[in-house]
Amino acid sequence: MTASPAPGAARERAAAIRALQTALAAEHTAVYGYAVAGAHLTGSRQKAATRDWIAHQTARDALTAMVAALGAQPVPASATYQLPFAVRGAQAAVALLALLEDGLATAYLGLVALTGDRLRLFGAQGVQTAALRATGWRGSTLAFPGLAAPAAR
Amino acid sequence: MEQVGRVTRRGVLAAAVALPLAAAGCQGLGVLGTPPRPRPDVAVLRAAIGGETLLIGQYTAVLAAQPGLASLLAPLLGQHRAHLGRLRARLIVPPGAATPSPSPSPRAHVQVPGSTAAAQAFLQQAEHSAAQSLLGRLPAASPSLAQLLASIAASEASHALLLGPGRGAG
Repeated sequence: MTASPAPGAARERAAAIRALQTALAAEHTAVYGYAVAGAHLTGSRQKAATRDWIAHQTARDALTAMVAALGAQPVPASATYQLPFAVRGAQAAVALLALLEDGLATAYLGLVALTGDRLRLFGAQGVQTAALRATGWRGSTLAFPGLAAPAAR
Repeated sequence: MEQVGRVTRRGVLAAAVALPLAAAGCQGLGVLGTPPRPRPDVAVLRAAIGGETLLIGQYTAVLAAQPGLASLLAPLLGQHRAHLGRLRARLIVPPGAATPSPSPSPRAHVQVPGSTAAAQAFLQQAEHSAAQSLLGRLPAASPSLAQLLASIAASEASHALLLGPGRGAG
């Protein structure tokens, strides 16, 4: 019997990398989307969008470092993203930001399914931050941020 | 007809209880062994269900005392009922395990503050505590339950945001 590298640990590491890459890709999308939406906002909403845009860049950088620390190549940003709808005014801009935050909640929720306590909590905090921002943009709350409709699970 | 159905169901239940006892009588307690230990998720779920039940009781009490807050609180209460439903749906009690003590009546022991602002602040604090307590349960939960708890915690944190000063009806 030869000792093999613990397969469980390798599997966990691969799962962590996958979940972190998903969150990183969502942050890339958010950074792009906030730049697009921010251009259509004014006053306090523009200020809030700029604040969140910077926060998403910080989160992107943190996730990039986390993926790299696990020995993987962080997913790069795309040059452009397909937005779910055309943003031609403030109302569509705000709707886009709420939708982007919903997507982030889903992405961060993937980290909560990992086995490590620290990544779970990190993921849960990411879900919470996204839900709070989505609520700020939408003015209403969701029962299950990041989760699909009740029937799906 | 209804009566017959009820009696039959009770009879079936009685039989289900009697069988293991009869087995114990024949073969001794050692053979019966300890009942299956509830999986960790059962304890986590019960705690989370207790937390949601408490919140629903607090909302119900505040709504009764401060009907002016209904437009703000009713949608949030509806989401708590959805949380509770989703948690309860996952609670599959292993046969032979002790049944949990019934939850206290929803309105019990809730002291509602006198003003709408204070009532809002009271619920905001309750939401914060509930979310925090769910996050504390993440390490003990299975992956899919941890995701449900994190999602509910995020929902409750966003409720607290809406309950903040200046956002409600008060």
